[in-house]
Amino acid sequence: MIAWYDTNIILIQSTFVGLLMALSLQVPIRFGVFSFAGIGCYGIGAYVAAIMTIRYEWPAAAAIGAGMLIAGVVGYLLALTVRRLGGLYLGMATIAFDLIVGVLAVNGGDLTGGPSGLFGALADVTTLHLVLISAVVIGLLAYSERGAIGRRVEAVREDPELAASMGIDVRRHRQAAFVISALLGACAGGLNVLLRTTIAPTDIGFSLVVLALTMIIVGGSRSWAGALIGAMIFTWLPGFLEFSGQWQKVIYGVIVALAAIWVPGGLLGMMTDAYRSWQRSRRDAGSGDGDRTPLGSRAEGTPA
Amino acid sequence: MRGILLASLGRGIPVTLAMAGLLAVTACGSGGEAAVSAEGGLPAEIKIMTIKDRTGPVAFTGLSTIKGIELAVEQINAEKFLGETKIVLESKDPAGKAQTAASQMTAAIQDKSYAAVFGPVASDQAAATSPLAERGKMPIIYSQAGSEGVVIGKYTFRATPPMTSYYRVIGDHIKSKNVKTLGVVYNTTLPTLKEVAEKVLPEMGAELGFSVVSSAAVQMTTQDFAAPISKVVKEKPDAIALLLVGGQNPTAMRQLRQAGFDGLVLGNTAAGAGNLKPAGQDGAGMTWPSDFHPDQPGESTKKFVDLYQAKFNERPLNYAAEGYDSAWWLARAVKQAGGASRDDIQRGLDVVAAEGFEGAMGKLAFENRDMRLTGVIVQWNGTEEVLVGSDS
Amino acid sequence: MLQDLINALSLGSIYLLFALGMSLVWGTVGILNFAHGAIFMFAAFVSSVITDQVRLPLPALIVIGAAVGALLSVAVQLLAFQPIMRRAKDHRSGEMQILIGGIGVAAIPLAIAEEVTGSNPFGFAGSSYVTSTFSLLGVRVTSTQLMVVAAALVIGIGVIVWLRFSRSGLALRSIGVDPETASLMGVNRRVLSLSTMAVAGGLAGLAGVLLTYNLGAITPESGDVLLIKAFAAVILGGVGSMAGVIVGAYVLAVAETIVLTQTSGLWVDAVSFGFIFAVLLFKSEGLFGRREVRRT
Repeated sequence: MIAWYDTNIILIQSTFVGLLMALSLQVPIRFGVFSFAGIGCYGIGAYVAAIMTIRYEWPAAAAIGAGMLIAGVVGYLLALTVRRLGGLYLGMATIAFDLIVGVLAVNGGDLTGGPSGLFGALADVTTLHLVLISAVVIGLLAYSERGAIGRRVEAVREDPELAASMGIDVRRHRQAAFVISALLGACAGGLNVLLRTTIAPTDIGFSLVVLALTMIIVGGSRSWAGALIGAMIFTWLPGFLEFSGQWQKVIYGVIVALAAIWVPGGLLGMMTDAYRSWQRSRRDAGSGDGDRTPLGSRAEGTPA
Repeated sequence: MRGILLASLGRGIPVTLAMAGLLAVTACGSGGEAAVSAEGGLPAEIKIMTIKDRTGPVAFTGLSTIKGIELAVEQINAEKFLGETKIVLESKDPAGKAQTAASQMTAAIQDKSYAAVFGPVASDQAAATSPLAERGKMPIIYSQAGSEGVVIGKYTFRATPPMTSYYRVIGDHIKSKNVKTLGVVYNTTLPTLKEVAEKVLPEMGAELGFSVVSSAAVQMTTQDFAAPISKVVKEKPDAIALLLVGGQNPTAMRQLRQAGFDGLVLGNTAAGAGNLKPAGQDGAGMTWPSDFHPDQPGESTKKFVDLYQAKFNERPLNYAAEGYDSAWWLARAVKQAGGASRDDIQRGLDVVAAEGFEGAMGKLAFENRDMRLTGVIVQWNGTEEVLVGSDS
Repeated sequence: MLQDLINALSLGSIYLLFALGMSLVWGTVGILNFAHGAIFMFAAFVSSVITDQVRLPLPALIVIGAAVGALLSVAVQLLAFQPIMRRAKDHRSGEMQILIGGIGVAAIPLAIAEEVTGSNPFGFAGSSYVTSTFSLLGVRVTSTQLMVVAAALVIGIGVIVWLRFSRSGLALRSIGVDPETASLMGVNRRVLSLSTMAVAGGLAGLAGVLLTYNLGAITPESGDVLLIKAFAAVILGGVGSMAGVIVGAYVLAVAETIVLTQTSGLWVDAVSFGFIFAVLLFKSEGLFGRREVRRT
C-alpha cells in the first residue's frame, strides 16, 4: 500500500487537483451558468501563487490564498461584466477570458516569465493538505446540494423566472456561482503550481478547458461525486492506455464522444439510474413475494 | 522539432520543445578495450528508465532519440565496455503529457532498481521531472528539452547543446555572403528562438558588420506569414532569418519566395528532418547551424553513422545522435565512478563532463551539466540536408 | 501598404471559407460544431495522401476535399449529434453535450493524421498545379491567393443568395428561428439538418484544400487554430448572419494584419479573443445579427 502510494503519488495528487478544477466548472453549471471562467482563474491562481512563492517567499497557504483572493475579485468583476449573456454566448465569452489570461501570461515580461513561464516554486504542500482541502470543499458543496439551498440552486438553474417570482435573488446566485468557481479554480491552480513547481502559458490553454469539461461530462455534472469520478478517470486513464501506443488518442476521443452521446448524465447519472431501477425491481419483487419490506422507497426521492 | 508545431490552443501540448540540434559523439573511442572484467562495484545489470514520447506530437523526436539510445546500449553491452555488466532499458511513453512524465519519473525514483533516467524531449515535461529528480536525487539525462528550468542542479544533465550556444558558427557563412542588412521573422513563443532573434543575431551583427533592419514576431498559432514577411521584405535586407517551429517553415519559405526574396535565408534546426519537403524547390537554400550532420568530419561521427545505418537502414537525425551520446555519457560515468548507484552515476557524469569526450556529434564539452559544441552549417537543397562547412 | 491590404484580404478569405460552414450550421440548425476544424484538416489530409499516389490537378483535389469533408460531416451528424439531440432533455444541456461530443469526435481524425504524418506538415507536392506569382505596381500576388479570394467571395455571396431566395434556404432559416413551427409547416428538419451539415463539411473540405495550396503545407493541428479565429469572425458578424460572417472574417484579418505590421506582433493572438469578448459584451448580437434569433 505504502509502495503503491509512493509510486503513484503524482497521480494521487493530480486527482485531487483535477477534482477541484473540474468543480470550478461544475459549480456554475449546476447554477445554470454556462461559464468556463474557472480555468482562467486557475491560471491566475497558479501564477499568483508562483510569483508570491518565488519572489516574496510567502508560505504556501498565503500564496494560494492571495491567488484565490485576486481570482475571486476578478470572478466577481467578470460576473458583473457578462451579466447579460447566457447559454453558449456566455460560454464563448468566458473561453475568450481564459485565453486572454494566457496571452497576458505570455506578455507579462519578467513578472510572469513570458513564454517560458516560471520555475522553482518550491513549497511544502503535501497530499494531506490536498485531502483536507478537498474534504472541506466537498463538504460545503454536498451541503449546497441538499435541503433548501439545493432546491434554490435547482430553481435558479431550471427556471430562473420562476425562481425570481418565488423571491430568490437570481442575480446574486449567478454572481455567487462566478465567485465560487473562481475560488475553486484559483485554489486548484495554486496547489498544482506548488506541487509541480512550474507554470507556463501553454499549461493553461484551451486544452485545460476541454479536460475539465470532459471530466464533468463523463463523470456527471449534477453533483460533486460526478466531478470526482471524472477526475479519477481522466487522471488515471493515460497510464492504462499506454499499452495501446499510437491509438491512445483515438481511444481517448472515442471514450469522450461515446460518453457525451450515450451517457448524458455522466457515469454518476448512469449509476444512480441503475441503482434506482435495481431498487425498484427489488421493491416490485418484494411486494410480489409479500415477505419483504420494500427498502429505501423514501430515500429514493422523486422517481423520474 | 517537428512535433511542436502549432500545438497551440488545441491541445496545449508541448510547445516548448527545445530545439536543439545535434551533435553526437560516438563514444566509442574506447571500443578496443572490450574485455575489462566486471569491476568489483558493478552489478550484473544496470536498469535505466527511458521517458521519451513514442506517441503524440513529439513522437517523431522521441522515437528517433530512442533509436540512438538503443544503438549505444547494444554497442556498450556487446563490446563489454562495462565488463560483464549490462545496461538494460525500460521504455516509458509520456505521450505528450507533462503529468504522465512526472508520474513515470516518480515511479522511477521510488523503484530502487532504477539507477538513472533518460529524460523527456519536450521542455514542459522536462520542467516537470527536473524538480522531482533533484528532490529524489535521481540522475537524469535529457536530450532536446532546451528551455530554462530543465538543467537546474546536481542531478539534471542535458546532452543537447542550446541553440544559442552554437548559432554563432554560421557567422563566417553570413560574412562570406557579404550581408550588410538582415531581416528577422521569429516565433516568440519559443524562448530559444526569441533569444536568437533578439540577442544572438544583433550581437553577431555588431561583430561582423551587419545590422538587423526589421523584425516581425509571430506566434505558435500563426499559419499565414504573408503579413510579417511583407513587413520584413519591405526593408530590402540582404538576408532574412526565419526562426520558426517545424511546420511553420515550409509555408514561410514558400511565402518568402513568393514575396520575391531570393537572398540568403537563415533558419534553425527545426526546419530540418524533412520539415521543408512540402515547400518543394521554394524551400531550397535555407541554411542553419546544427549540432549534427551525418556527413560531418570526425572518426567518432563516422563510426556512429555507419553503425546506425547498418542497424536501421536510414541516415541518423540529430535526435538519434543526441540519444546515442546520452547513453555513452552514462556508460562512461558508470565506468569512471566504478559503481552504479545513483550517486555514483551522478558523480561519474560530472567527471566525464569535466573531461569532455568524442561522440556522435563530434568533440563534446560541457558547461554546468549542459552540452557545448562547435556546430556545423547545413543547408536544405530542396530534397535533403547537405553539409555546408564545418569547423570541427 | 497596398501589399498589406492584399495579404489581409487573402487571410480574411481563408478565415471566411472556414467560418462559412460553421456559421451556417450554428445559425440555422443550432449546432456549434467543434469538429469543424478536424473535418477541414482531414479533408486536406486525405487529398494530400491521394495526390502523393496519383498526380492530380487542382480541381480534382478540390472535389476530393469537398467530398471527404461532406462525408465526414454527415457521419458526425448521424453518429454523434443526432443521437445527442434525440436524448437531450432540453436545449441547453443538448448544446453542451454537442460541444463535448464535437471535441471528442474531433480527436479521432486528428490522431489518425498525426499518426500517419508523424505530426509533420503535409502538402500537395504531388499535385500538377503550380502557383505562379504576378507582380503589379510593386505588389505581388499569387494565383492561389486570387483563387482563394474569389472562392471566398463567390461562395459567401452564393450562400447568402441561396438562404434568402431559395425554398430550401427559406426552410433552413425557418428552423433557425423557430424549429417547432417550421416542422409543423412541413419542413423536414432531419433531412435539412443533414444536408446543411453536408454543405458545411464540403465547404470545410474546400477550404482545407485551398488553404493547403495557398500555404504550401499545413499540419494536423491547423484546424484547431482556425477554429477560434472562426468563432471570432462568426461572433463579430453575428450568429445567423451570413453577411455578418463575411464582414467579420475580413475585419478580423485586417485587425490582425495591422497589429502584426504596426507592433512587434506579440499581441496578435489577443485580437481574436479580444474581439469575441468585446463584441459579446457590448453588442452580443454582433454587427449584423438579429437579437435573440434562437430560443434561450
